[in-house]
Formats: sequence, C-alpha cells, structure tokens
Amino acid sequence: MASEEEINLLVIVVDVNPIWWGQQAQRATELTLSKCLDAVMVLGNSHMAMSRTNKLSVIASHFEDSHFLYPGKSWRMGDSCGDDASSSGDGKYELLAVANNLIAEEIRKVMSKTEVRGNSTDTLLAGTLAKALCYINRVSKEFEVGQEIKSRILVIKAAEDCARQYMNFMNVIFAAQKQNILIDACVLDSDSGLLQQACDITGGLYLKIPQKVALAQYLLWVFLPDSEQRSQLVLPPPAHVDYRAACFCHRNLIEIGYVCSVCLSIFCNFSPICTTCETAFKIQLPQMVKPKKKKLKQPT
Amino acid sequence: MDEEPERTKRWEGGYERTWEVLKEDESGSLKATVEEILFQSKRKRVTESHGQVRLGMMRHLHLVVDCSRSMEDQDLKPNRLTASLKLIETFVEEYFDQNPISQLGIITTKNKRAEKLTDLAGNPKKHIVALKKAVDTVCLGEPSLYNSLHLAIQTLKHMPGHTSREILVILSSLTTCDPANICELIKTLKSLKVRVSVIGLSAEVRVCTVLTRETGGSYHVILDESHFKELLMLHVKPPPASSSSECSLIRMGFPQHIIASLTDQEAKPSFSMSHLDSSSGADLSLGGYFCPQCHAKYTELPVECKVCGLTLVSAPHLARSFHHLFPLQAFTESPTEQLQKDRFCQACQGELKDKSIFSCPSCCSVFCVECDLFIHDSLHCCPCCIHNQSNP
Repeated sequence: MASEEEINLLVIVVDVNPIWWGQQAQRATELTLSKCLDAVMVLGNSHMAMSRTNKLSVIASHFEDSHFLYPGKSWRMGDSCGDDASSSGDGKYELLAVANNLIAEEIRKVMSKTEVRGNSTDTLLAGTLAKALCYINRVSKEFEVGQEIKSRILVIKAAEDCARQYMNFMNVIFAAQKQNILIDACVLDSDSGLLQQACDITGGLYLKIPQKVALAQYLLWVFLPDSEQRSQLVLPPPAHVDYRAACFCHRNLIEIGYVCSVCLSIFCNFSPICTTCETAFKIQLPQMVKPKKKKLKQPT
Repeated sequence: MDEEPERTKRWEGGYERTWEVLKEDESGSLKATVEEILFQSKRKRVTESHGQVRLGMMRHLHLVVDCSRSMEDQDLKPNRLTASLKLIETFVEEYFDQNPISQLGIITTKNKRAEKLTDLAGNPKKHIVALKKAVDTVCLGEPSLYNSLHLAIQTLKHMPGHTSREILVILSSLTTCDPANICELIKTLKSLKVRVSVIGLSAEVRVCTVLTRETGGSYHVILDESHFKELLMLHVKPPPASSSSECSLIRMGFPQHIIASLTDQEAKPSFSMSHLDSSSGADLSLGGYFCPQCHAKYTELPVECKVCGLTLVSAPHLARSFHHLFPLQAFTESPTEQLQKDRFCQACQGELKDKSIFSCPSCCSVFCVECDLFIHDSLHCCPCCIHNQSNP
C-alpha cells in the first residue's frame, strides 16, 4: 500500500571544530560538545517522533572532512550491530534508542581518530553541505515516483567563517535552491555572513542564539516545525542581509563598481587592464575635433 | 558556392539495422541490455566543457517563435504551438537561472508579418505571463523569416559591443514569405556579429542551413518532444564569445535591500519605478532596493534603472555565473571490480551497485553514477576537493 503521507527528511550538520570547542571548555562555559550533541539528539528524536515517515541524518563537520554520524554505513550491511543496542530497558521507541547510541559511538570515534593539524578556527562548511545535498539526492531517488519527499538542512555553527570557501559555498546554495531544499542556521557564537545569505536565498531561518545554555529549547522551538507549519507560528524575524559586493582589489564593500565583462570580477576604480583575466579594455576617448585648415591668402 | 562539403543525407546511406542493438541473454531476457541503454542515456547528459575558452556572459537573446498554420499540427501533443510554448517557459526559467545578467525578448511571426511579444528585458516573470497568454493565439498564414530577423536586428544593433547578440528561431513551417532578398540580410547579420541558431520542427530547410552556417550558429531538427527539450537546453549555456567582441568594464550598482516594518519611525512608503508603466501593481511599499546613484526604488533585481541608466545587480547574481568560468573537470570512469576499498560512494554514502564508478582526477575520491550526474549538473564542485583547506 503506497503511503499517502509525505516524507520529511531532516539533515543536521554539526560543526565539531575541536579547537573552538576546546576553547569553550577552557573558558568553563556551560555549553560543551557533549551538551550540544545531547540537544541535537533531542531534536532528532523529536523529529522522528512527530511522524512515522520522518527521516533523519546527522553529519559532523570536522577540520578537513565530514563524517556521517547517522545513518552509518554498517546500518546497511546488516542489522546485527543494532540488536545489541536496541534492548534499552525503558521501553523507548527502538529507532530512537538505536539512533542515539549510533550517534554517540560515531562521534567518539571521529573525535579520537582525526588528528588536529594547524590551529585555524574556521570551519569548511561548504564540503559538508555538498555531501548532504548528494545524500538527499540519493534518498529522494530511492522512493517510488508518486511519493513526495521534502528535505531541509539545519546547520549548527560554532566557529567563524572561512572566506576562502565563498565560491564553493555559493555553488552549494544555488544547488540547494534549485532542489527546493531549505537551509536553516543556528549560530552559537559569531554572526556568519555566508549562512545569512544561504538562509535568505533558500528561504530558511537564521538565528544567533542569545543564551547558549538554552540550545535545546531554541532548537525545539524554532527549528523543529517544517516549512508549512512555520507560517502559522511567530518565529524570529528575518535578518538584514548585506548583499553588497566586495571589490577584488581592496576587499571593501562597494555600492557602485566596475565589472569586467569577461571574468565578472568587480573593481572599485576604472583601470585599463583587468587583474584577474588580463584583458585590456577599450577606453572610450572623447571625439577629436579636427581644427579647420585656414587657406593662406596668396598675395596677388 | 559552398565552402564546406555537404553532409550525406540520411536517405543516401545504407539500411540501418536498428533491431540489432537489443540482444537477449541465455534466458531470453532483455534486462541487461535495457540497463545498459539507461546507463548510457544517463551518461550522455554530462556534456563536455569548453575548457579555457572565453564565454559571452552578458547575452541579449531574441527568441522568434513561428505561429503559422503548420503549428496547428498534432504531431506534438496537443498541438505544436502548445507544446512549444510550454517548453519555452522552462527554457526561459533555466536561461535566467544560468545567465542572471542577460536579457531575453520574444517575437512571433505569422501571416507574413512579425510582431514583438515582449521587449528585451531581464525579468523572467513578464515573459512567462506573455507566453501563457500566447497559447490562445490563432495560427494562420505563413511565417516570414526576413521580417522577424529584421525586427530583431532593430533592437540588437544598439546593444553594446561587449555583449553577445543572439537570435534563436523555432521554425516549424517549410516555407517563408520574404519581402526582400534574404542573402542581403544574412550579410547584415554577419557584419553586426549576430549569431542566429534555428530549431526546426519539420525538416531541414536550406535557407536555415545557410543562415546558421554564415552567422556561426547551430541548426537542428527535432525528433520528438524530449529531443526538442534537449536542443532548447543546449542554448542555455553561454556560448563561446567571438574573437571580435569587445571587452569592457561595465559600471554596475549593488543596492542594499532595505526591509522596513510598519513600526519603524523613519520608514516612508514609496512607489516602485518598475511598476509605474503598468496599470496593475502600482502599490506603495515600505522596503525595496534603492539605486545608489539616484535613489529610485525597485522591488526586484536585476534591473536597469529608468532614471539614471545604471544596471543594478546583487552579488549572488554574478556568483551564479562563476561556475561557467571555472568548469568542473569530467570524472574518470573505471569498472567497479577494480576497487579494493569498501564499496561506498564518498558523497552520498550509498553502496556502489553500478558497473562503473567515477573518480575525481584531483582528489581520487570515488562516486556513484547518480552523484556524478548531480555534481556536474547542479553542484559544479567536487565535495571532497572543497574539503581541502589549501584549495581556494
């Protein structure tokens, strides 16, 4: 019997940059990585409990790689690993118990195995989002033709943006917009211009959490309802997004600029050669007025 | 006379034994062959990229649609006109998606005359509304190729030199009624550097072959509706720029989006300049985009300011075209049996069940055929390469 209900897929991307979380632990604030993951598990369980057909996936975004915490690869190989963990004595819905255990185990493996190189506190979210989009693409192809599947991505961001990933990030955002996938953002520390643009372009929600301790509350209030239910709730207003372009020469934000017609690089001042693609431009010179030649009168 | 040798026509070749493509295996089932055909059709969609060729990013394209008697033919369901208009709507959306700073105009031709359906504009909504209304037009008479090209040239010749000037003709009739010598017009088109491409719905017509060959465009005749869609989508990608097109710095404005709420004391309601001409939609609104030069208000971008003539865009519009400038390399195909490691696709974490896998030449990660298609069609960047910190 084909199910008439539509399937909602929620992909949660968690930023587990170890340097930022380590600094948090040193400052002895109340939000540590394990508390953050507890809040994520609460949101994941609530999402799966809302409807039998809802699906979940959790990805951790580490330094130079991203790992799928749930569903794991071994999940598909056979359900033998699931049997040990499913017997939790408190009568919890089996799927939720299995999900929680898998997430906890995988994150322990990820944090212990990956070695920390360098000391940058930026996160490369673009790659993780690209993998999330590929995953959503595969899942939506696995269902029958009649079933609708609605997907959205929730990004929980801790560290700052990395400016180098601007172009890849924009590619990912446009791909998500084309597939009608919402990108929501929950920012713990500093505002992120890239994520603000992503939420604006795809139609998702952007929120910078005022009190980190109450992460679970914000997640459940703002990010649990899906896009249809959001129109009936009072949610945080959209943030003002600065879409001004930055010029390639000084990195200033400009309101009027010059754009090269070949490579589309933006400059704040007119220059005869484009520095990116090295094409020489035709400069519009004012028309030269030729002076009239006066005929010399020959003395008669 | 012709400079190129004429291609041999299809009726001049021998018999094609098309039934030999299907081969049965021992049990008499065609399953393996059908899967192979599906796999090949998926692979065909990944087209070769141009490489380091300069592309014409700012395009001015005129679409000429034939509305003559032959469009009432029912070989495309329900009739040729309705099917074509529907596919053209999809084309218009894709065109503005891939070329956000370009413009499009639509011309119809019937009864030996040509008329403008919409002017050259950068906003897809106007075109789609006009196309939906055009479904009810009565098709009669003969089309006029000369008149429609002449009408298109009137606007295209005033366009600046750094833009690419193109005309795409969808011609279903086998005849055309021209008031003057079309060879003169072809010479004019060549001198104005206009590129004309034709999609024929009936059969190959010699005047179109000459027209497209002289101006540097392409000429195709459709086989069926899905082939028609493929041919239309080929024109969405920006074409290589001709060597004689000029490069210049274009002055553009990047307005801020002002969102004002009713409780804001300083917010003043104002009219949007783009709606002043039309009878509907001239409403007062609080927020919008204000031109940095003359502070005229607009509700949508990209637009050309009517007051001061400055082109207004936002940075994401330009960012949309970047993937044309830095195309993703095609992935190398190899059989699945050669893979030593776990058989999982590194992008979607699915099992690799197809007969071949694809690997990125720079980071050697392995992908399945669906992810390969998705990456090349929509994503335009390899998910594993962009994880590398040193990669800008």
